[in-house]
Amino acid sequence: MAGIVYIVLRWSSLAALLSFGTALALGVGVVTLPLDQPVQFGGGRQIALGETVVFFGRELVLEQADRMTMAFLFLTAAGIFLLAWRFTPHSLLFPMGLGMLSLLSGALLIQPLIYAALLIEIAAAFSVFALQGEGHAPTRGGLRYLTFTTMALPGLLVTHWLLDRYALTPDETGLLGASAVLLTISFALLLGAVPFHTWVPAVAGEGVPLSGVFVLTVSNGATWFLLLEFLETYPWLSVYPRFEDLLFAVGLVMVILGGALAPAQRRLGPLVGYAALIDSGATLIALGMNSRVGVTLTFLALLMRPFGLSLMAAGLSGLRSRSDGDDGWDALRGLGWKAPWSTAALVIGGLAASGLPISPGFASRWALCRALAPSSPGAALLLLLAGIGVMVGVWRGLFALLVRPRSPEDRSVVPSRNPGDASEGWLTRVLVVLAVLGCLGIGVFPQTLATLAARLAESYTFFLP
Amino acid sequence: MPTLVDLLARISFLAAMPAVAGILVTASLLVISREWRLNVMSLTLQYFFVVLLLTRLIRLEVAAVKGLIGWMVCMVLYLTERRVDMLRGQEASANSENEVASRRHRRWVMSARTSFCLLAGLMVSVAAYTAALRLPLPEVPRDISLACFLLAGLGLLLIGLSESPMQVGMGLLTFLSGFDLFYVALEPSLAVAGLLGAVSFLIALAAAYLRVAEVAAGSEERTL
Repeated sequence: MAGIVYIVLRWSSLAALLSFGTALALGVGVVTLPLDQPVQFGGGRQIALGETVVFFGRELVLEQADRMTMAFLFLTAAGIFLLAWRFTPHSLLFPMGLGMLSLLSGALLIQPLIYAALLIEIAAAFSVFALQGEGHAPTRGGLRYLTFTTMALPGLLVTHWLLDRYALTPDETGLLGASAVLLTISFALLLGAVPFHTWVPAVAGEGVPLSGVFVLTVSNGATWFLLLEFLETYPWLSVYPRFEDLLFAVGLVMVILGGALAPAQRRLGPLVGYAALIDSGATLIALGMNSRVGVTLTFLALLMRPFGLSLMAAGLSGLRSRSDGDDGWDALRGLGWKAPWSTAALVIGGLAASGLPISPGFASRWALCRALAPSSPGAALLLLLAGIGVMVGVWRGLFALLVRPRSPEDRSVVPSRNPGDASEGWLTRVLVVLAVLGCLGIGVFPQTLATLAARLAESYTFFLP
Repeated sequence: MPTLVDLLARISFLAAMPAVAGILVTASLLVISREWRLNVMSLTLQYFFVVLLLTRLIRLEVAAVKGLIGWMVCMVLYLTERRVDMLRGQEASANSENEVASRRHRRWVMSARTSFCLLAGLMVSVAAYTAALRLPLPEVPRDISLACFLLAGLGLLLIGLSESPMQVGMGLLTFLSGFDLFYVALEPSLAVAGLLGAVSFLIALAAAYLRVAEVAAGSEERTL
């Protein structure tokens, strides 16, 4: 389908709706179709989803736990494609996004896990094309993401060999230590943990914002699920001395760094990146709790993340298209009056990403703070302060966007005479309203996703009892 | 007509320290030079030396395929840079002769950047030599260990020294060559070899795409 979408890319609506429809159908299909019973496809071919498929001699296995994670990837991608239809219609996100989806779902299904690392690397190379905007200077974000993913590859591949060797010679415990170090560094690179975080604000701040959010939610989500798969496959890793302390400390540093830098930004793009960095830090803290509650909160944070970030990126795309691609405060002055719907999407998305009450971010952040408060009240407080940091950044952006026109001569804030610039279109408005309602709906009724997160956590047993 | 096996048998004496020295020279040239012709030639030669070392670890045919992938990658980079050069040449056709002469003169003067890159390259090479002595890689001979450390270290240095898509792309390819040289000894699977080849090719395509975007954006800015 990615090839077909690439061919019809000239007809942007067709390409976008094909991408959206494919991702949505796959997301719904993977949840609703039975695993153990054969399903009739076109041409009379019968396939049981749960059966092992051999692809180039490697096994692809869809297990119960994988269904929800794959549905999450497909449905998140569908949402991003739908927003991109109105906000970045001519982007390479559609074909490349579909290609990345197939690679990432392959990474979650393939055995042994070394192939997953290679598939994630190929998906990272695809993301460079999606992140690059048409007619813009090359983005550092895509290249940096590709660089960090390439640097993570050796660690993941060599770990597999070390663990195979350990299975043959269990006396050599040094192999476990080397594997733990390599895995930790590799996943730190892939997840953008401090000090390897520089690609996160670069991916969000440069290039196509919705492609950046695709990387930060779908690609990064697949990496998170792969990490959990590693922890489940190699349970000795989670009980390795001081492993949970390391996760907790790195997560906390990410939260502090993101919270400190978010309000200091003078552009909206990197602000999205720092909001994602704080969220990743909070997720690492949850995983560092090394308990069932911690794993449930990890899943909850991953499920809630796309709502705020996608809305933020959609709003940012709408605003950038009216400021020649510049998202600095000076370029955005008064733009809120010309693009009120994009502004609304940005602000509501920003507040959701910061964890404001009645937003999706609040449900996961508040639950994590409550779980942390008895044992680490300082960490809980820092988490709340980091959310306030993002809020301050959004507030500063809103302040610039809502500068009132002083006089008709002030050309920077007078509505454009070009009717295409002045209006955001009724379809865009409907889409923004639906996205905001969906965001607030999940914020008010988070039980649906919380129950799902709890069910997902039940599939994992690597944590301490 | 001599076969590939005959040809490689004739130059097999190179597949030891001479190949490692060749890798050191070519990777250092990539770090120091910003002249695209020299860089593409260095990368092509670097793949040749890597293939020579690979013949000691894996079957000749597999090593040859890896070499072919590397040379195809070099071809992609060469064609991209040639096209970019032509586009720039058309724009700068009005350049005065003085400017051309001054450029020729500058080519032979070592800039501060070149000196810095040379020094950094030397330091990384010394670090790679020390690492090969103190932490030899498992399953590979010591000279190949040194080649792996040199490629990985100088590749990372190249990535760190520049934000230009081509330099970063070449750095990533150099880094991957170093890892590939080590990993074939651990996992000789053809599927892994194929996927690593695909990764190299996609990195080259991504670098070429960004390079073209860079030139297109630059010419758009000039026309505005």
